[in-house]
Amino acid sequence: MGTQATRMKMEEPQSVSQGTPFLLVVGLSTVFALLLALMNVKSGPLFTEGNMLFATLIFYSAASALYIGFGVTGTARFAKFASAALALGFVMNTLAAGHRWSVAGRPPFASIYEMLLSFVWTVALLTLVTERKYGVKLIGSVTAPLAVVSVTLMQLLNSDVRPLVPALQSTWLHIHVTLAMLAYAACAMSFATALMFLIKDNIKSETLLALTSGSTSLIYAAIVATRFDGGALSVVGWDAENKQDAILQGGARLFVNIPELGWLFVLATLITAAPVVLYFVAKVQNKDNLLGVANTAIFISLAVQVLTLAAFFLRANGGAYPPADPLNSTVMEMMQNPAFRNGFPTALPASPFILSGMLSGIFASLLYLMLHWRRTGLENLLPSADTLDRVTYKTICVAFPLLTLMIASGAYWANQAWGTYWQWDPKETWAAITWLVYAGYLHMRLTRGWRGRRAAYFAILGFAVVMFTFFGVTYLLPGLHAYA
Amino acid sequence: MAGTNRSTAKSLMSTIGSVKTGVILLIAVGVVAAAGTVILQRPMTEPEQMERAYSPQVLRVLDAVGLTDVYHTWWFIALLLAVAVSIVAASIERWPNAWRFYARPYRRPEPHFRAATKNKVEFPIIDPDTAIAAAERALRRQGLKPQRVIENEEVSLYAEKSRFSVFAVYIVHASLLLIFLGGIIDGVWGYKGYIRMTPGQELNTVDLRDKRQHTLPFTLRCDGTGQENHPDGTPKRWWSKMVVLDSGKETLNKTIEVNDPLTYKGVRFFQSSFGRSDEVIAMEMDAIPQTVSADKSEVAQIPGAEHVHFRLDTKKTAQIDADTTIRLLQFIPDFFVQDGQIFRRSNNLVNPALEFAVVSKGQEYKVWLFPNAGQSHNQSPFALDIRDAEFANYTGLQVAYEPGQWAVWAGCILMGLGLFVAFYMVHVRVWAQTVADGKGGLVLWVGAAANKNREMFEQRFKEVTQEIEKELKSSQPQATASAAAGK
Repeated sequence: MGTQATRMKMEEPQSVSQGTPFLLVVGLSTVFALLLALMNVKSGPLFTEGNMLFATLIFYSAASALYIGFGVTGTARFAKFASAALALGFVMNTLAAGHRWSVAGRPPFASIYEMLLSFVWTVALLTLVTERKYGVKLIGSVTAPLAVVSVTLMQLLNSDVRPLVPALQSTWLHIHVTLAMLAYAACAMSFATALMFLIKDNIKSETLLALTSGSTSLIYAAIVATRFDGGALSVVGWDAENKQDAILQGGARLFVNIPELGWLFVLATLITAAPVVLYFVAKVQNKDNLLGVANTAIFISLAVQVLTLAAFFLRANGGAYPPADPLNSTVMEMMQNPAFRNGFPTALPASPFILSGMLSGIFASLLYLMLHWRRTGLENLLPSADTLDRVTYKTICVAFPLLTLMIASGAYWANQAWGTYWQWDPKETWAAITWLVYAGYLHMRLTRGWRGRRAAYFAILGFAVVMFTFFGVTYLLPGLHAYA
Repeated sequence: MAGTNRSTAKSLMSTIGSVKTGVILLIAVGVVAAAGTVILQRPMTEPEQMERAYSPQVLRVLDAVGLTDVYHTWWFIALLLAVAVSIVAASIERWPNAWRFYARPYRRPEPHFRAATKNKVEFPIIDPDTAIAAAERALRRQGLKPQRVIENEEVSLYAEKSRFSVFAVYIVHASLLLIFLGGIIDGVWGYKGYIRMTPGQELNTVDLRDKRQHTLPFTLRCDGTGQENHPDGTPKRWWSKMVVLDSGKETLNKTIEVNDPLTYKGVRFFQSSFGRSDEVIAMEMDAIPQTVSADKSEVAQIPGAEHVHFRLDTKKTAQIDADTTIRLLQFIPDFFVQDGQIFRRSNNLVNPALEFAVVSKGQEYKVWLFPNAGQSHNQSPFALDIRDAEFANYTGLQVAYEPGQWAVWAGCILMGLGLFVAFYMVHVRVWAQTVADGKGGLVLWVGAAANKNREMFEQRFKEVTQEIEKELKSSQPQATASAAAGK
């Protein structure tokens, strides 16, 4: 590992003063954001969890900007400052988590907000460790934006310290969730190194273009599929008084329709899909010049994504909209109330997953552009393909036993609490599927000698399944894990 | 003939046990399991919800194929069994090689092996015996335990660590089979169900998930149940005081809570829900003196008469005044009237009817109240009104009998161990041998191999060889000296 680090240094013969303007911009905006945040803290104690989390967000954002700057320009100083910003953010993150722990009197694992708090913490820690140990400085350009998306999402989620419902009051909760967080963070690391392997392994830029465009448009397609309603976009209503989703009788959420926004999302789906469509056309008809068009299309796609995000921000943050289901009896009853004559309010916090999906799409496109601009430079910054392949394998060797223990501890706990160790609830099933995917990876690698690209694709698939288990199941397939 | 049979069996075995078969089966399990999370499953969904979600035709097809209860269909279970069979076949296939590797370690490298070994060093030496002795000391100092291998009167060294780690794969696969075994035992002999009890009740039947009933070999009694809340009103703790009666005797007494079940004869009872039952235990009532006309057709309240407020325990008789008592005869939670008779429609508290016996001055009157309809049939000296009712709490208990769970937990522990060995225990082998260098001299050839984590091992090998070099340097001059003296 030591030789790896020295080689990295030798490959960066840049002068010390390079990139000062960018550093100044990022540094100043960080300071500015901190000052602005400080001015917002008009009264009350300074070191609340919310403030510390906000500081975490600022530092992680600075780290993301610097890591991506490092990726684009290859300036070694950026990486150094990025690590420092990440470390500062990590300290803030630790304080926020510790604060919550002390207030709640239990480790922060009870809600999806608390799980994300711990997840981000683990990811930041692992990034710092990997950076030190293996010299893979570029890993931050994937994990830092991931942390930013997560923390942004947390800003929107309900962060009240709630007492645990009886079924969650068990030591096994902490064991189970700690294992889950460690396992998922290790999976995230293997994903990042697998991506870097693909870059180093001379995967064609256009393959990554197709991947980026395909997954981004899939996000928009999923939103359209579930939320498009006659040109409008259905979002959850917001109960400003109780700071939670507007709930109807019987626990169903109240959806409101933001007019015309649905069409914008359809447009975004089509435009984000354009590069991947162009890619396939180019492949089938053997027209390489179309790939250049596809690269331009990514720019347009990015612009449309930013536009859609801005429109969503403006439309969904406040304002009153007609209900999606005006014939529902409770809704009809509520409409009698003069306060709702103009419609029902919504707010950004009511749509955390739409927002984080959109942010992830933008980050993915930015990462692709970084790659597109600086392919050779980036490759020089990375350790050898062989090392990346091995690091991916090793992180999976860490993740797999952790996944196993996570499932086993969950089963044991379920057996304690509900009397069944396995009942095929969606989260359980998907955890098992994740396990199967990684088991498949290990078998192919160990007995079939799968190395390199195929193994890397497998690792990426594994992480996609992890993400679906973590977010998708919670919001799309409700079950026993309804708490988180 | 027998030969071809054996070879067919063998090739069948190797097909079943191949990694390809295994991975295809795993993919199939994954896909089917994922389908089960997307399609609504009967055991977890109300029938009405199923009907709302799917059109009748679609639902008929889904039901026929078993997709509405994927995890309990014969073909899903067959798929899991196929996975188990494939694992067993793979293990049998690979066992001879693994066993040979374990039982007959390769102690003395031959020239072709020495040439192929990646990690190797050669030190020029003069006397083989001193060199071997030096290497032996060095290896021992490095924590390896070298053995002397003597072949054709030549001595060489062999040291190894964690040889058994070659069995890690078998441990992991065996643990998976053990978990499957536990699942099968539970599927065949175990049961899961639910009971609902109100305080004072005795019960020995369990409602199973498939609507059947199971009779317990003992009786359960609930002596009380309750809930404690957090300050914000959400529940903090549910508890139930349970007593086990076995052949008429109280054999076990335990207050159960969520995460703290009661276990008796392998059957476990878990606190799973708590709530207000529809069983009335007491009522706050008003009695208003009234007069009844001689033909009993008209009833009138006595103006200015005082209301009497009393509490009626459903199992006791209450006093209205010095001459009058009242008790509850029957409580029908949901009634309907047919041919002038009152019948029970359901056990849900929807439209209750209550029959009381009012005894006044030696005469008994039967009184009916229908609180929801605001009606009554009452010719006693008192009009009756229910102000408030107190209901019994019920406790909901999950019942589970899982005789195979020991196998599941043993399997989990074994798998943890197996994975640890598989990923973190390295089988290290080191050889040291004196060889002619082809130029008339002698060298000490030191080689090593590790089955995983090769980069770390290179570092370790460097340390080992440095140690040997040091030891050789310090022993060689003396060896030369003694050899010279001997001449």
